[in-house]
Amino acid sequence: MKTRGLVLLAGTVLLCLVLLTVQARSQSSAPADALAALTAPIQTAVARTGHFAVGAWSTYREWRNVRAENVRLRDEIQRLRTATLQVDETVDENRRLRLLLSLQERLPLATLASEIIAREWGGWVRSLTIGRGRHDGVTRLMAVITPAGLVGRVVEVRHATAIVQLLTDPASTVGAHVVGTRTAGILEGQARGTMRFKFMARDGAGLKVGDLVVASGVGGLIPRGLPIGRIQSIDDRGSALFHFAALSPVVDLSRLEDVLVVMNQGGAPDLTAFFRPGDK
Amino acid sequence: MRVLAVLAVFGGGVAHGSLASLLRVGDVVPDIPLVVVVMLALRRGPEFGCLAGLVAGLLQDVTTGGLLGVQALTKALVGFAIGASGARLSVTSPLVQVPGLVLLTVAEGLARFGLLQMFRFPAPFGELMAYQVLPQALYNGFLGAVVVVALATADYLRPGRAS
Repeated sequence: MKTRGLVLLAGTVLLCLVLLTVQARSQSSAPADALAALTAPIQTAVARTGHFAVGAWSTYREWRNVRAENVRLRDEIQRLRTATLQVDETVDENRRLRLLLSLQERLPLATLASEIIAREWGGWVRSLTIGRGRHDGVTRLMAVITPAGLVGRVVEVRHATAIVQLLTDPASTVGAHVVGTRTAGILEGQARGTMRFKFMARDGAGLKVGDLVVASGVGGLIPRGLPIGRIQSIDDRGSALFHFAALSPVVDLSRLEDVLVVMNQGGAPDLTAFFRPGDK
Repeated sequence: MRVLAVLAVFGGGVAHGSLASLLRVGDVVPDIPLVVVVMLALRRGPEFGCLAGLVAGLLQDVTTGGLLGVQALTKALVGFAIGASGARLSVTSPLVQVPGLVLLTVAEGLARFGLLQMFRFPAPFGELMAYQVLPQALYNGFLGAVVVVALATADYLRPGRAS
């Protein structure tokens, strides 16, 4: 065993020395070429495998980075969207409150600003709940307005809240007249959520589509001149005593956020001039 | 097992030229075939170590483009020497194997330098030792430690190992 090992070692040394001598003396590369022919394909395969593995690992790492970046960017987009919505909401609220304050300051009435905290939008009843009540001095039948015009009137008062009957409530009736012709009539709410102006035929000869209808102030409950709506169409019933006009409300009742409660209207003049057509 | 050993020698020799650069630290790459030869020689004795060194060295000579036979001779000598020492000395502990691998790398480097001097190798000895042989020896020691731990773990996990 020991002899075999030494023989093997000697053979190995001899082989290497022969190889070295052959190469040094004849500059021959035949043995190297022969071995290279055997190893080159394997070396190529190994290199390709290595490159593939490194490439796959790099791709995986990049993918992970891209994925993490993607998640981060999505979060940031979400955060920015939320922030934008908050800013938009604040800007909108600011605009509404400025309009409300501006109206409150220029009206010759005592008013109380209030937030809408609930709304009833069924066909039977159309009402709003405001965050002001008996505690704030609100009483029944007070008018509720916005910078665009009349919203309705208080029909129920509780300690800290009040229910406002909208003009479109089927049970709502308000004395009104048409600006310009002074045609008097009654504004009625309808179950489908619209309003109609009921007027006597003999008075309504000059009505036109687009005419503004305002509160008449008759009865002293709702201030005179509060805008209500514009005539959309006229229902001429021939020889009937009453004719009707469909109105489009000046106030978008479905998108109200804040209102003013008219606390005291004692001796107020016609308010039509205090309202601007663009304020909503 | 024998096939695995042959594959290790062959793979180590060929892979060195292709994959060692991936393990590069600074300008130093490990001598993978030398580590393989030493580990196999310790386990299988001087004859296998000698043959493994010859084959791995030849492949390394071919793939690195040097004189054919230089590394074959030095690695065959290292394989034989470490295989023979393994039978006489207690070299089974990693604490012996790893520093041993460092020393063997230096010895192999010295042998290679001496052999190449016969063929008028131009590099100065000091520079070669400082920038090539010694850093590679340290790297080989580290790589040897990793291989030793890996082999010990593989032995431990081998199915049928009696407790």
